[in-house]
Amino acid sequence: MPTPADLFTAPRTPWSGALSLAIWAVTWGLMLALDEHMDLANLALLLVLGAAVAAIGSSRRLALLACAASVLGFNYAFVPPRGTLTVGLHQHAVLLLAMLAVSGIVTLLMSRLRWHAAQAAEHARRSDRLRQFGEALRAIDDPAGQARTLVAALQAEWPARSGADPSTPAVLLRDPQGTEHWTGTAAADDADGLRLCLEQGRALGPGTGRYEERAAWYLPLRGRQATHGAALVHRPAGLAEAPAALPQLQALCDQLGSVRERQLALDAARQAREQAADHALRNTLLTAIAHDHRTPLATILGAASALHDQVGRLSAEQQQRLAATIVDEAGQLARLTDNTLQLARLGSPGIALQTDWVAVEDLVGPVLARARRRDPQHRIQARLDPDLPLLRVDAVLLVQLLDNLLDNARQHGGRDVPVELLARRDGDAVCLVVQDRGPGVPAALQDRLFERFQRAATGPADPADGAGRSGAGLGLALCRAIAQAHGGEIGWRPRRGGGSRFELRLPVQAMPADPPADEPEAA
Amino acid sequence: MSLGVLLVEDDRELRHTLHQALQVEGYRVAAAASLADARALLAHAPAEAGFDLVLLDLGLPDGEGSTLLAELRQHASTPVLVISARMDEGPKVQLLDAGADDYLIKPFSLAELLARMRVALRHRGRAARPATLRLAVAGVSIDLETRRVQRDGQDVHLTPTEYRLLARLVQQAGRVVTHRQLLVDVWGPEYTHHTHYLRLYMAQLRAKLEADPADPRLLITEPGVGYRLADNDA
Repeated sequence: MPTPADLFTAPRTPWSGALSLAIWAVTWGLMLALDEHMDLANLALLLVLGAAVAAIGSSRRLALLACAASVLGFNYAFVPPRGTLTVGLHQHAVLLLAMLAVSGIVTLLMSRLRWHAAQAAEHARRSDRLRQFGEALRAIDDPAGQARTLVAALQAEWPARSGADPSTPAVLLRDPQGTEHWTGTAAADDADGLRLCLEQGRALGPGTGRYEERAAWYLPLRGRQATHGAALVHRPAGLAEAPAALPQLQALCDQLGSVRERQLALDAARQAREQAADHALRNTLLTAIAHDHRTPLATILGAASALHDQVGRLSAEQQQRLAATIVDEAGQLARLTDNTLQLARLGSPGIALQTDWVAVEDLVGPVLARARRRDPQHRIQARLDPDLPLLRVDAVLLVQLLDNLLDNARQHGGRDVPVELLARRDGDAVCLVVQDRGPGVPAALQDRLFERFQRAATGPADPADGAGRSGAGLGLALCRAIAQAHGGEIGWRPRRGGGSRFELRLPVQAMPADPPADEPEAA
Repeated sequence: MSLGVLLVEDDRELRHTLHQALQVEGYRVAAAASLADARALLAHAPAEAGFDLVLLDLGLPDGEGSTLLAELRQHASTPVLVISARMDEGPKVQLLDAGADDYLIKPFSLAELLARMRVALRHRGRAARPATLRLAVAGVSIDLETRRVQRDGQDVHLTPTEYRLLARLVQQAGRVVTHRQLLVDVWGPEYTHHTHYLRLYMAQLRAKLEADPADPRLLITEPGVGYRLADNDA
């Protein structure tokens, strides 16, 4: 890889020198051939033309040398008295000097032009490599892969030359927790150099003004806010000065620095979002515990303390009623606790459902049994279509969902008409419906029926709203969370003829192979 | 002679409450608050007044109740009823497969506990005695000796697989049998993940035996765990 310094001192290829020689030869041939037919001034112009053309291909030093030699040769061959370096006339002396000056200036201008062109081309190549590096980085997410990409880019930019230190560059990345990630190997003092470079966010090594004596460069990976790592680039042997490519190497390093910084910012934002969601969930749960759990607890404590303090003054019937209250409310409290725990579980990331093939009967049966245990007077009519497909669900969660819907209907659905629990196939889903003939859901509540109980958010400014929602609590929010966890959905609408209709849709999945056929008769 | 119950529970209040309630019901109760206590009581129990049933809490101060279950199962078939505050189905199933006779999740009512205890005690010593052979519950009578199943006095015809499934549940009537146990015993050990076989055959059995398959009174589902054949006690 040529540096700009090289462009001054060496021809671009060996052929460009030969080409210049050929141009000079042609020029001289022409001048000798036209000697008889043209006067001295015109011949001199040919020489200036030759100098200009030859300067295009050769290095500046060579071109200047060739110019000077040609002017001397011209003096010798054409300027009278010919065959000597003496100049006869004053005007010839002026001609020679002018020739020398013009050829020299043309040569200098030419080489300068070429240098600028080479600079521009080199610059374009560097921007291109920088852009390619940026694109490569964008496609990689893990820091180790990004560091490896940087190593490759540094090597492409600054390849180890023959006889140079063969060690590949090393990269140190440090995350905000202070953990170091190394790519490539670095000797102990090189590692210290990298750490120092990282701490200070400034390049160290030859040409940087700091630690000039080192045999390597330590380049920081800088973002806008901080330094996220450092790269070690070994200095080729025999090269004392800072390479002109140093800014380019630094630009590569800084690019990785910005990418790391952006990624860290994204990570931090995601964490903040998760924390906020966690926080919101915790608040919801705390609110639920504070409100929903206190009501049954207050009843239990009231009844229990009455039994404890007034036992001598209560009739047997009163005692029995108080004890029954305690049993009922404790059951309610247990259910609330189950709901709260389940909602917390579903809200935490990475929750795995315990899904298995389940028949709808296996969901409905336990729900009906539970409802019966809770309140034997409560009438529920279950109607299941025949030949319903098996569902792949978490049976425990689905039972909890249906139990919540039925308990909701028990509390708010009126007691004159039995609550209905229906199951039917609907396209590629199974619909489970719980409907009652109660007063329905107040308009103000309908939109937020399945939202988590957010009493704290609504605040005391809207007490009627809070009071209206207290019955729903977490139960319906849990229903929705369970439905969504199964890729299903739950909705409410007014039932035709009055009442509420909750509908749960669960997707039907492809069944595994049927069990082998059975012989028809046995018993 | 009253039946002996070993109660292993570290919560003092619950231990006292259960101790008292079980004594009122006529059981002879010994209470332990830790694994070490329980081991000592088991080791020093006189032969003529041993324990007929163990009520075992899982989270104990000096270890997991499941270790005691494993120790007990090495040389005794004393029924073990696990009582635990943990809701997850996974550990429940593991305990049942490891030899626990039944489980109860806290909080539970005394009536539930007593019903489960009666069932567990009835199966006591089942290794020596033949399993339940005849059963009549919810309008269905099942006789494993004559392989006869009747509903409301009418014979019901079952396929061989349906019959094997029902018979397996009858052997442990009143107690939960895990999906895995049913699949292994009815279909074979390589079918433990074919839960859908179980669902389909259970649906067929219910259609033949239950008055209302949607609200079964005989073949009870234990969500996420297994099935339980209803029993007049439970």
